[in-house]
Amino acid sequence: MQMNRWRADAQALLFLLPFLVVYVVFTIWPMIKGLEMSFYKWTLIKKMKYVGLDNYNQMLQDTAFWSAVWHSLLFVILSTPAMIVLAIVLALIANRRSRLQKFYRSVFFLPSILSVAVASFLGLFIFQPYTGLLNTLLHLIGLLPDNKEIFWLNETNLAWIAVTLLTLWWTVGFNFILYLSAMQDIPEDVYEAARLDGANDSQIFWRITLPMLSGITKTITMLQIIASFKVFLQIYIMTGGGPLDQTRPIIQYIWQTGFRENNLGYASAMSYMLFVILLVLSAFQYWLNNRKGA
Amino acid sequence: MKWIIRLFSMLLALLFIFPLIWMLIVSVKVEGMKITTLLDWFTPPYSFAVYQEVMTQTKLMQWVWNSFFVAVCVMVLTVLMAAMAGYAMSKINFRYKSFMFFFILAGLLIPGEAILIPLYQVAKDLDILNSYQGLIFPVLASPFAIIILKSFFDGVPNDLIESVQIDGGGIWRIFGSIMLPLVRPALASMAILTFIGSWNNFLWPFLSVTDDNLYTLPMGIPTLMDQYTEDYVKPMVINTISSIPIMILFLIFERQIVKGISMSGIKG
Repeated sequence: MQMNRWRADAQALLFLLPFLVVYVVFTIWPMIKGLEMSFYKWTLIKKMKYVGLDNYNQMLQDTAFWSAVWHSLLFVILSTPAMIVLAIVLALIANRRSRLQKFYRSVFFLPSILSVAVASFLGLFIFQPYTGLLNTLLHLIGLLPDNKEIFWLNETNLAWIAVTLLTLWWTVGFNFILYLSAMQDIPEDVYEAARLDGANDSQIFWRITLPMLSGITKTITMLQIIASFKVFLQIYIMTGGGPLDQTRPIIQYIWQTGFRENNLGYASAMSYMLFVILLVLSAFQYWLNNRKGA
Repeated sequence: MKWIIRLFSMLLALLFIFPLIWMLIVSVKVEGMKITTLLDWFTPPYSFAVYQEVMTQTKLMQWVWNSFFVAVCVMVLTVLMAAMAGYAMSKINFRYKSFMFFFILAGLLIPGEAILIPLYQVAKDLDILNSYQGLIFPVLASPFAIIILKSFFDGVPNDLIESVQIDGGGIWRIFGSIMLPLVRPALASMAILTFIGSWNNFLWPFLSVTDDNLYTLPMGIPTLMDQYTEDYVKPMVINTISSIPIMILFLIFERQIVKGISMSGIKG
């Protein structure tokens, strides 16, 4: 019996070892290392000197940091509800029985496989004045007079709209697929029973489909909030964080501090803050989901 | 009413696909065309001259190869490691198993973006910056894939394992020729999702590589774009070349991709 135990332990270790090595070296260890670095003045070249809580103090007083946090949060607020509503609408369309069902599924998901760089540059060219796709389209259908141009990316509010629209187009596919598969899991006889009782389409949607999707909606909300908070490249490419850093998100600020200003220590402290914020967001979401024993 | 819904659906579909069609069409236009109305984008003359120019005079094709090579390595190693770990977590009874489970779950809470700065330092200490190893190894640990694959191994009845053991089969035979084939659909979904994730991964390559012979596409593209923002033809050629491989994969593996995403919904 004793032999068997050791054997099982050894076998488990053997099977877990490859994963454990990369996991500890490249996830757990950096997590610990980051804590150390956040207490030092640390450049790209080497560890300079121990500064205690200086980096954290600096962070608390750094208005650029807090406005970057706010920009990421603003993007969460702008994108999350739109992501969910649009994903439900798309899933309803692709779930309808029609010859185009498969076509809709492919088309709505297709942009999601694009690389973030490709999607961002498409966004940049779509929202250009004079030659961009959107402005020429608006000229063509007469919504925008020929002698006028909208400078989407040079004005803070418009820039947020542009970035949100681009992100919506590019990533809503994931949520769409999650909703679609959840809708297909709703048994057909539930709908049949409702129709026999005389329910119309909108009643069926509000009273049956939507409530039955509440589980997946919670999951998607959580995943989306975290994903949106981590926004970076599409903003960096489309607006560069501008005008005047007014759209710069937290990840861009961390990267600039670390690699442009050669201050890895402070960047590590901010990374820890980012980690804490994301942890709090997930914890909040978890609490929300389990509040009413849902 | 039916017609309105149909029209609305078609319009939305058009809206989703239109930027991609625009990308493809502009990429075969002749450089230096004057664009005054929308229709000018779509009318001839067409030409592939810029394709040839981009493919021969930039490192784009090298970057396509790098992205592909790194993605294949990441895919194979990630799924293999996750399958082994998932199997151990599901079918082997060992001491400290619940601790191990907690330890792996904790990884789900650590966002990659939050450890990038120290990861850079760790990679520098290990001297793997600016190398394929540096692009591949740091992204291999996937607690998510382990959790998913474990749940699939859980669904395989234990009797099956016992009967192989009675026949004298060792643990590698059980794993390699019984367990892996049984969870093949899940492996395929994890593999294709991992491939796409690696193909599109931007932040880590961006930080860890400065040698432009090692660039992957997402980080190479911006370096080419800076030079050509006046004319859209070259950027669209670059976008198209970068997207064609992944679009072909999508058309082939759509079913597995969709399944893999549906699995990720279980996580919450």
